[in-house]
Amino acid sequence: MAGVPAAGADVARLPLLGRGWTLAALYPVIVVLLALFVAYPLADLLSQAAKADGRFTLAPIATLLGDPSTRQVLWNTLLLGASVAAAGTILATLYAYAMTRVAMPWKGFFHFLALLPTISPPILMALSLILLYGRRGLVTHQLFGMQTTVLYGYWGLLAAQLLSYFPFAYLLMLNLFRGLDASLEEAAATMGAHSGKVLATVSLPLLAPGLAGSALLLFSYSFADLGNPLLLGGDYPVLSAQIYLSIIGMYNIPQGAALAVILLAPAALLFFAHKRLARNTAFASVGGRGSLRHPQTRQTAVRVAAFALCAAVSLVILLQYATVLAGATTQLFGINYTITPRHFIAALTNSRGALFDTIGLGVVAAAVAAVIGVLIAWFVARSRMPGRGAVDFVANLPLAIPGTVIGLAFGLAFNNRPLLLTGTAAIIVIAFSVRSLPYAIRSAVAALDQINRSLDEASTNMGATPGQTLRRVLIPLIRPAVLAGMIFTFTRSVTTLSAVIFVVSPHWSLVTPVILSQMDRGDVGEAAALSVILVILVLLVIHGTPRLLGRDWREARIG
Amino acid sequence: MHKVAKALEVRGLQKAYRLPNGRSAPAVRDFTLRVEPGEFVTLLGPSGCGKTTVLRTLAGLEEPDAGDILLDGRSIAALPAHRRRIGLVFQNYALFPHMTVFENVAYSFRIRRAPAAQVDTEVGAALKAVGLEELAARLPGQLSGGQQQRVALARAFVMQPDLLLFDEPLSNLDAKLRVQVRGELRRLQKRLGTTALYVTHDQDEAMSLSDRIAVMRDGRVEQIGTPEEIYLRPASLFVASFVGRVNALPGRVIRNANGRACVEMLDYRFEVASERCPAAEVLVLVRPEAIRMAEAGAQGVPGVRGVVEEIEYCGDQVEYRVRVGAELIVAVELALLRQQRFASGAQVTLRFIDEALHLLHT
Repeated sequence: MAGVPAAGADVARLPLLGRGWTLAALYPVIVVLLALFVAYPLADLLSQAAKADGRFTLAPIATLLGDPSTRQVLWNTLLLGASVAAAGTILATLYAYAMTRVAMPWKGFFHFLALLPTISPPILMALSLILLYGRRGLVTHQLFGMQTTVLYGYWGLLAAQLLSYFPFAYLLMLNLFRGLDASLEEAAATMGAHSGKVLATVSLPLLAPGLAGSALLLFSYSFADLGNPLLLGGDYPVLSAQIYLSIIGMYNIPQGAALAVILLAPAALLFFAHKRLARNTAFASVGGRGSLRHPQTRQTAVRVAAFALCAAVSLVILLQYATVLAGATTQLFGINYTITPRHFIAALTNSRGALFDTIGLGVVAAAVAAVIGVLIAWFVARSRMPGRGAVDFVANLPLAIPGTVIGLAFGLAFNNRPLLLTGTAAIIVIAFSVRSLPYAIRSAVAALDQINRSLDEASTNMGATPGQTLRRVLIPLIRPAVLAGMIFTFTRSVTTLSAVIFVVSPHWSLVTPVILSQMDRGDVGEAAALSVILVILVLLVIHGTPRLLGRDWREARIG
Repeated sequence: MHKVAKALEVRGLQKAYRLPNGRSAPAVRDFTLRVEPGEFVTLLGPSGCGKTTVLRTLAGLEEPDAGDILLDGRSIAALPAHRRRIGLVFQNYALFPHMTVFENVAYSFRIRRAPAAQVDTEVGAALKAVGLEELAARLPGQLSGGQQQRVALARAFVMQPDLLLFDEPLSNLDAKLRVQVRGELRRLQKRLGTTALYVTHDQDEAMSLSDRIAVMRDGRVEQIGTPEEIYLRPASLFVASFVGRVNALPGRVIRNANGRACVEMLDYRFEVASERCPAAEVLVLVRPEAIRMAEAGAQGVPGVRGVVEEIEYCGDQVEYRVRVGAELIVAVELALLRQQRFASGAQVTLRFIDEALHLLHT
């Protein structure tokens, strides 16, 4: 009779392979890894900062804070951070609004340019600003005949950081604008509100948590920025640069550590304040519908203004990159504009090792962070392991910590036996991974949350252990999110300066510190060429990897 | 050769959920049930009555606070979910979107590293049994709701489980499809002979599918019996009104002698056997189809006089709401070529079929 399973084929009697303990056994391993490479370095840094005569004391920090120059530096840092946060959020919001709510041409072009800074090292902005607006800058000196240092200091830093970091805020606001429930704005329009009114009374209030998030993001980036302050700081010292100078310049480790703690405090405070705020004000900003068809305004005045804004910003960014390109391809920018491949050849010859190391270690770190991130995401979101809240907290701590502080913590903590890792590739990979881990976890958790638990239950019901369910059902479904996370972390890793400046060595050099030292020496052409090469390599990896990995990694099939 | 079916016994199952405010919400209270080998029993009840919780506890997806679960006398309560030989068909099918129909059904074999030849045979037979052998290479996203449901079905029984559990598997299908698929489902279960427990809030499904029905309320079994027993002899007003419609009229026992009791309700007197009469004051349950309507003037017709208030035409039948004193009685008759026999406002006499009257405690 059809439908009756064949005789003697009792599935239930087949042995169940793979015991449930394999996955659970990984949990303590992860706990140890986190303790060793997140908790320990931070604790060590704090102890190095709060130490005098071998005893724990806050005296060194208190002394530093008592010093008016330190307080000035702290104030500078906070002021700059606040300025970047405010200006950047406004700019990002307007830009995102223009892209999602205004009918205008060339959106693809504007979007591409706005995102360009996300794949290049922030130090590249300083480089091109100097070439354009420096003492012998193309615009200031050649065009206007000035010999001015107005670029160096608060305004130059503000410009450099805005250009470097507003794209991240733009991405955030873009997603939020897209995620808004379109019917709310449509309802407002039918009740007579013109587009400005809708923005002010409906969209922005709903996006308020996002605005706070954007501000926090920009604050964090500003705190963490090292390259721009070193090159453009001038008379406006900020904490990250001071930490660097304390350690590398004066070899005053306790002072460097103390400054790092002083930088850490406001950063961590802001982070946790935002977290608390975000929990209490979860509006229906990411509505279930997420309609793609938001009303696009056709009011001429708005369209013209939006177009002008986007065009202006895009042109500024374009000019930045064009300048770097020009610096890389001309004999001596500002003096001799003959086209030459000299700088590229020099960069490829001298810095070939750094390029390989950077890309290679970046890829390895992205993979490591992805694997551990998925495991932690599973433990946190899909299991009932004890202490998973603490694991989540510790793994996400690096989000609250400026890169300089992490880099310093690593450089100090792993300088002694038994964990003598300074000078190795391992420490670089670990530093990259630790910084990337929160993002890997977040993207994995978000993807896991989209998968109905009934899939887990069906898999279990059919005899699969949790590990088998993770491997056969969950991972295939979250692959695109994991890949997106990996690409993001790779890009962050290879473009950062602050997190790696304290862990590079003669054996393992990375591109961004090399660019910095070339700028210091005045080898502008080679620095520019190296920057261009790095950006090209990053673009290749970002676009090539999904293609190489195939369809399964690109398309989400949550169903 | 069929596997020998197993008996399911649930003893004293209890489960309460912890609410965010610290209090606990009991979902299942002292649930006890025995399902004979090969029997099809339905847990029927309104949302929140605990039927799904019972099912999930049997599958091992929830842990009970107390109680035991036995298959053929052996306790499985300590076994983790993936070690129980129990097939669960989910309400939303829970098909793996990244696997083909074939791979979905083959999953339990793949987990156990079964040899490919065996997988092909088993899965092929299962797909044939549900009529989906042509669609083996499709992805779930490319199937209709009914087809997805069949895949879920095949996936559950291909394992030859000791027990089949169904969690409202038809509720996402449209009405016509539901009727068609439920028939296939029952035929399949009968052929396999697997013991089955089915959860639904749809009484039509319960009545047509089950060997026995357990009506649940607030975490407990209110009554368990064959569909006929549940319908014709409900143990409580809740069961009576949950399964089908019913008029509940107050009645009074006037005389009780020689094994016959005389009951009066609404000026109408009828006799029943004494053992069917639980108390002096009773609730008389009258199903709408147990009422015959006649014109008010008809002579010599014992019944109750009333006025037609509302009429509802359903195509196959007509439903009348008749006002009798303080009561509004629902009666139905076959429509049979006309929309209504009585107009609104008409005076009618209601005759009751005495044998179909059921008495309950008040």
